[in-house]
Amino acid sequence: MAWRGNISKYLKELRFLMCQTSPASSTARAFVEKNYKELKTLNPKLPILIRECSGTEPQLWARYDMGVEKGIKLEGLTEEQISKALQDLVKAGESLKR
Amino acid sequence: MGLGLLASKAVRPASRILHSPNPRNFLLRTIVSKPELKKPEGAAAQTQPEPPPVDLPPRTPVAGARVHFDNPDDAIEVFVDGYPVKIPKGMTVLQACEVAGVDIPRFCYHSRLSIAGNCRMCLVEVEKSPKPVASCAMPALPGMKIKTDTPVAKKAREGVMEFLLMNHPLDCPICDQGGECDLQDQSMAFGSDRGRFTEMKRSVVDKNLGPLVKTVMTRCIQCTRCVRFATEVAGVQDLGMLGRGSGEEIGTYVEKLMTSELSGNVIDICPVGALTSKPFAFKARNWELKGTESIDVTDAVGSNIRIDSRGPEVMRIVPRLNEDINEEWISDKTRFCYDGLKRQRLNDPMIRGRDGRFKAVSWRDALAVVAEIAHQTKPEEIVGISGRLSDTESMMALKDFLNRMGSDNVWCEGIGVNTNADLRSGYIMNTSIAGLEKADVFLLVGTQPRVEAAMVNARIRKTVKATQAKVGYIGPPTDFNYDHQHLGADPQTLLDIAEGRHPFSKTISNAKNPCIIVGGGVLERKDKDAILATIETIAKNGKVVRPDWNGLNMLLLHAAQTAALDLGLVPRSEKSLESAKFVYLMGADDVNLEQIPNDAFVVYQGHHGDKSVYRANVILPAAAFSEKEGTYENTEGCVQQTLPAVPTVGDARDDWKIIRALSEVAGMRLPYDTISAIRARIKTVAPNLVHMDEREPAIFSSLPKPDITEKVSKTPFGIAVENFYMTDAITRASKIMAQCSAALLKK
Ligand code: SF4
Ligand code: FES
Repeated sequence: MAWRGNISKYLKELRFLMCQTSPASSTARAFVEKNYKELKTLNPKLPILIRECSGTEPQLWARYDMGVEKGIKLEGLTEEQISKALQDLVKAGESLKR
Repeated sequence: MGLGLLASKAVRPASRILHSPNPRNFLLRTIVSKPELKKPEGAAAQTQPEPPPVDLPPRTPVAGARVHFDNPDDAIEVFVDGYPVKIPKGMTVLQACEVAGVDIPRFCYHSRLSIAGNCRMCLVEVEKSPKPVASCAMPALPGMKIKTDTPVAKKAREGVMEFLLMNHPLDCPICDQGGECDLQDQSMAFGSDRGRFTEMKRSVVDKNLGPLVKTVMTRCIQCTRCVRFATEVAGVQDLGMLGRGSGEEIGTYVEKLMTSELSGNVIDICPVGALTSKPFAFKARNWELKGTESIDVTDAVGSNIRIDSRGPEVMRIVPRLNEDINEEWISDKTRFCYDGLKRQRLNDPMIRGRDGRFKAVSWRDALAVVAEIAHQTKPEEIVGISGRLSDTESMMALKDFLNRMGSDNVWCEGIGVNTNADLRSGYIMNTSIAGLEKADVFLLVGTQPRVEAAMVNARIRKTVKATQAKVGYIGPPTDFNYDHQHLGADPQTLLDIAEGRHPFSKTISNAKNPCIIVGGGVLERKDKDAILATIETIAKNGKVVRPDWNGLNMLLLHAAQTAALDLGLVPRSEKSLESAKFVYLMGADDVNLEQIPNDAFVVYQGHHGDKSVYRANVILPAAAFSEKEGTYENTEGCVQQTLPAVPTVGDARDDWKIIRALSEVAGMRLPYDTISAIRARIKTVAPNLVHMDEREPAIFSSLPKPDITEKVSKTPFGIAVENFYMTDAITRASKIMAQCSAALLKK
């Protein structure tokens, strides 16, 4: 998963929003729990803001250069699909750069 | 006045506010007068018919008083005026009456202080007791029949009232307490309609309690509330009772000022006009004031306050009840900083001319100049810094604006380079302020809570006093008003505890609910990651974070900090300020101005002509917290908002509106025009910031984090707040705060 080390190249900031308890956010929570350390180790300077708030739909936001932002709803996605969604956001950043 | 006050009270949802008996609610009491009351001697002698047993309308407890049964077996039943109530064992008769919806008049009893039982105003009749009893000091017993409305009780109150008024001066017309005086209200409701006292009244010499509290000791009724407050809550032994009988006086034993950061609260608890506010003396009558429920911004606690204003002027600040944050106290800084709101204000946009002088210009011109220079600057040379008092909305706008300009250099004061703001659990007070009361061991690391967050310190003191919790402290020598153990001054002690070499690590692991509080000053240290990692090790070894208890806390320093971290306003590199060509200071007065290069263009947006104005090229005047609607998140993560109490000064505007306008002039229009639109934007960054009056707990406290390779340095922990009374632009502009620092700070 080499793309994971490239996140900070194309992204300025990554944000996970989720609820602390709701079942809809359970996969997002599990994803963060399992992958945060790896993502942060590979991209030590990238802010990965994890913001929990009751009643929030799980979302993933990426901020690119010049304040452009893209968000994906994570409700109903499995952990692999979340990883895929993240990869898509990175790809989108790659194409923005070009 | 009345309508304005009521209307402002209705504005705010009271979801987090638990009502508890408020001694100022006496106005609600109805005044009953029956013919037999006019001659109490006769009525008392009459035999009373049994009270009608059935068909009593259900009553609502006084001020929403609630009963909490720790153990259902402990419930006892008593009868108040024939109406049965269930209360837990150990409650007093007065509390039982409150649950039953009967408000008992009182002077010395205060629900947060110990019981003195010396004013005798709370007398009630209890069946089978030969004489009236002081309800505040009498425990309720099963089956007790309490009567609050009988001629005996009424006569007793009237008698007590007469004795109290004997030596109380008749100077209500020149007394600042007039209109909100318990003695005035209660003598109207319970007193006799004429006086029989013709002798000389006693008089007492006034005491000097410092620049904040004015004393007129002749008015004192010796209820000793102030003495109990000072010793029990504020933790200073300065006040006491001297003399006996008619020579009884309240005072400081020796000619000495009251040195407490909470001293202003004695003004509120004094039921008469003996202790009043010195800065407020003869300024206004309380019925002329309009109250606005707002939030304090002078520290990160977010104490709930009411701003009392008359016309365009803030006249005083008083506390509002919030059991979870400040209970019913506020610190002196919160209460008395308001005169700073009237001094040194910026009221016009200004541009510095070639001669180095500022010239007032129109908004249009000022924004055009700023926008043009911003456009000429390379994105990486643009820097934006928000200040200690910035609200969430304006920080969001500043960040969005700079991001759109292509710059990532936007941060808030007091946050160190590359602070890890990823996890909320890493920078909020996870235990919550009220939760501190459950802790039995505290470890304070690099924090001096007494000056950094006086209300948090009051909580810790309350806990230490109630449960003998142990307190260990690592940092420079400082003042505590409770027992503590000074473990060391530098991070080495921390390492010793983490590695189990220090006896305190045993104390932590033996504790039931250990609690670690890390000072916000640590965030500005170079080795902060290593220190935080060490603290996490201590937490892990001592089981500080468990599913049922999270005792790992950060205590931040400024009102803006928590929200800034939530939004990700963190400096990314140490060099960015030194290489900046365009610096946007949004209320940032404590940045190191030396670091800004000489050829940089500096914009200062703020409400006070404080330090940064001297370096600014353009000044954009903004609104202070008393003049705007702004969201603030306190150190425990509770989001609250300020409401405008007075109009803005001159041509000043709300912070976020200025940035929104600037973005339009610069051709990068930010997509929000209203405060609700900007909050919708905040919702996509940190949704907890729009949950008003809620505290969103952080999960992921024990998430695995990347390993830290750096080592903690040997530098001892520093002092984050040098002068309690002057921490930001408003308090530095305040004359009262200057007097306090001169008179009260120990040299
Ligand atoms: S000064 Fe006020 S609070 Fe203190 S004992 Fe006198 S009346 Fe009570
Ligand atoms: S309130 Fe009971 S004696 Fe003062």
